[in-house]
Amino acid sequence: MNQCGVWAVLLWPYLLSVSIPLDCKEEQGSLSRCPSISQEKLLDRVIQHAELIYRVSEESCSLFEEMFVPFPLRLQRNQAGYTCITKALPIPSSKSEIQQISDKWLLHSVLMLVQSWIEPLAYLQTTLDRYDDAPEMLLNKTKWVSEKLISLEQGVVVLIKKMLDEGMLTTTYSEQGLFQYEVQPEMLESVMRDYTLLSCFKKDAHKMETFLKLLKCRQTDKYNCA
Amino acid sequence: MMRKGVEAVLLLSLLFFTSHAKATRFSPPGKPALTRCRSPEKETFTCWWEPGSDGGLPTTYALYYRKENSETVYECPDYHTAGENSCFFNKNDTSIWVNYNITVVATNALGSTFSDPVDIDVVYIVKPNPPEKVTVSVMEDKGWPFLRVSWEPPHKADTRSGWITLIYELRVKLEGEDEWEMHLAGQQKMFNIFSLRSGGTYHVQVRCKPDHGFWSEWSSTSYIKVPDYFHREKSVWILITVFSAFIFLILTWLLHMNSHSLKHCILPPVPGPKIKGFDKQLLKDGKSEDVFSALVVSDFPPTTSSNYEDLLVEYLEVYIPEEQELTLEESKDLHDSCLKSEGSTSDNDSGRGSCDSHTLLMDKGEAKEGERQTDQEESQTEAQRQQKDWDEEELTYTHEDMVSPDMSSGRVKTWPSVFSPLPQYTLSPLVQRSSLEMAKQHCLSDSMFPPSSTSSYLIQPGNSTKEALGPSHWEFSLSNKQPQLLHPKTQAHSDINISSIGHKQTPVSLQSPALRRTEYVEVQRVNEEDMVLLQPIVCGEGCPQMRQAEDYSKVRGVDSDNRLLLQREVAKEEVDMCPYEDQEADGATESCYTSSDINTNQKPPACSYTATPVQDNRTLPASGYVDTATMFTLPTY
Repeated sequence: MNQCGVWAVLLWPYLLSVSIPLDCKEEQGSLSRCPSISQEKLLDRVIQHAELIYRVSEESCSLFEEMFVPFPLRLQRNQAGYTCITKALPIPSSKSEIQQISDKWLLHSVLMLVQSWIEPLAYLQTTLDRYDDAPEMLLNKTKWVSEKLISLEQGVVVLIKKMLDEGMLTTTYSEQGLFQYEVQPEMLESVMRDYTLLSCFKKDAHKMETFLKLLKCRQTDKYNCA
Repeated sequence: MMRKGVEAVLLLSLLFFTSHAKATRFSPPGKPALTRCRSPEKETFTCWWEPGSDGGLPTTYALYYRKENSETVYECPDYHTAGENSCFFNKNDTSIWVNYNITVVATNALGSTFSDPVDIDVVYIVKPNPPEKVTVSVMEDKGWPFLRVSWEPPHKADTRSGWITLIYELRVKLEGEDEWEMHLAGQQKMFNIFSLRSGGTYHVQVRCKPDHGFWSEWSSTSYIKVPDYFHREKSVWILITVFSAFIFLILTWLLHMNSHSLKHCILPPVPGPKIKGFDKQLLKDGKSEDVFSALVVSDFPPTTSSNYEDLLVEYLEVYIPEEQELTLEESKDLHDSCLKSEGSTSDNDSGRGSCDSHTLLMDKGEAKEGERQTDQEESQTEAQRQQKDWDEEELTYTHEDMVSPDMSSGRVKTWPSVFSPLPQYTLSPLVQRSSLEMAKQHCLSDSMFPPSSTSSYLIQPGNSTKEALGPSHWEFSLSNKQPQLLHPKTQAHSDINISSIGHKQTPVSLQSPALRRTEYVEVQRVNEEDMVLLQPIVCGEGCPQMRQAEDYSKVRGVDSDNRLLLQREVAKEEVDMCPYEDQEADGATESCYTSSDINTNQKPPACSYTATPVQDNRTLPASGYVDTATMFTLPTY
């Protein structure tokens, strides 16, 4: 108690500094006095993050396809013959829906997507390790994606908090366990399942990127975004 | 509330006092300061701090950070990875979405000191590691070498996925130099450097920077030595230079060898004055009077009578009738002597007649008869001599003129007009005339004009100034025209003007002056124009009668032996004119005038002709040789 009091007394000038938000300019200096990152900067970083994730997932998907999937079984771009794990999520899927949705819901959709894909990607990582001749590049890429996805989740959370002034639980959706997997699948099914997984993730990553870019467009030019 | 506030104030004051009180030996630690925080790949970062004074007591340092918008204070997870006085934040602890508020605390037994807090945005503190695997190699591009530098991004920086975008910069310098040459390479990982010095050693370094961040440190220096190269083009130029220098040397040597002849070719020697008696040195000295006085020949113009001899040149052939033959015979000796004497004083210049001029040159008061005779003789001798002179000459043109008056050689030109009338003319008529001697010729003293080579005799109509003299006053002026007009000063123009004074008549074709009256003329004087003025001598009884029978006044032609062929005519005719063709290139007009009867006071036309050796063609076949003396005829009228 005394110690807390002492700390509080001693640290009172710093409390003051924190409570007064300084006008944060983007500085190159290492010791910047800017207390928080601006919303625009944050959004840019999130978008860049999502772009990267999408690009890498696209690369790993095509890599996997070349290596393991025989040609006749390859999925077309818009084929809807299989179900993605995230199909059940209440996320807008058509352009008209997207245009009608609010900023808040855009962000929440992105967050849902990100959170729902964290576990499946971790699982994918383990299954790919079991492959005999999986190239190292593929493994590195998938690993990278899963890491970055977690980071992206953090970023979206911060963004939501900043834009919407909401605090929320980070693991709201990931605990729902949308993904269920079998312990010992057959080889071909395993390959097909992994392939399906990667493809679905690739699509969702693209969705994330699109939502975030739309959000940014709405920030700068509200009435001209498609 | 009040108590708490009072307590706080008391505590604070205690702290101050204690810090002051214990300053002597031990003190709380000094204030540390965060020097820098760096992230090598935007996924982790490290912060370093500088400790303050430790106050004499062992001091510990702690770093606390707080994430943005969160009150939770965390302590540094890793103090060791990055070394002394550092804090390393790993991937899990690093977020690019939030700022970090970091504080370092120094604590010792006496107290703690906090540093100033620092806000960190991880994205902006990225300072990558230097590029790795920098390789430099020498490559060749069409004979010119260049350096190719290639490198790899630092292995920690994830440029492959695009997480970090790096731009590169390299610098090059020659060994021994101080200044680096910077090159910005952008995002590429390879760069070419041109314009190398052959044989030089180059130092190369590379560094990189993210789009928001700091430049990395320079990579370790790579050394490369450029091999010596001798460029092809340079060698070609050197060959060309050597070759042209060689050719130049040869040309110079050739020029030197032939310098003399070249000098003559380019700068021909300027001919100097060749005037006899002309002293160049005097001219250079500027004594013009001396120069010109040196040129003046003392015996020119002729002032003594002895010079008159030289002026008299016989140029007429005189036809001598029988009586005259006698006289001629007599006078032959004279003639010969005269010739001889003349020959002594004459040079190769022709045309000088008998220069027994004292006999020729008459004063006014001389006895006419004697004069007449002598004149006649003289004329004949003159003619004779002249003939001989002419024979002596190389004047082939005289003969040729007889045949073809159209001769147009230099010498000939002057002559044809003189000689052309001759075929028609008989020279004798003058002699045959009573008182008029035509064949007065003046020997020009060629000695006065030594360089003259040829003398041409030009008979011109004396229509200029002679007419003032009395009628039938024959003026003779001998023109000694030199065809080569090199020295106008020395040129002797003596015009042989045989003209009747004041009379001009159209030339009448000279057909056959069968019988001409012979007139005797005496030389009156020689005027300044080298003209001998003659006076007709009244022919008394002593005048030889003209033989009416024969008239050799016609010149038929000249045969190959330079003999004048005269044509003898029987009938007495009026003197007809001698046609002539104007052979002169310059168109000197020579008109032949027939001589009319002087006694009648008519205007005797001036018959201008030149006396040439005329031979009677009739007598030629008979004897094979014709005494030229006898053949000289004078035109009669």
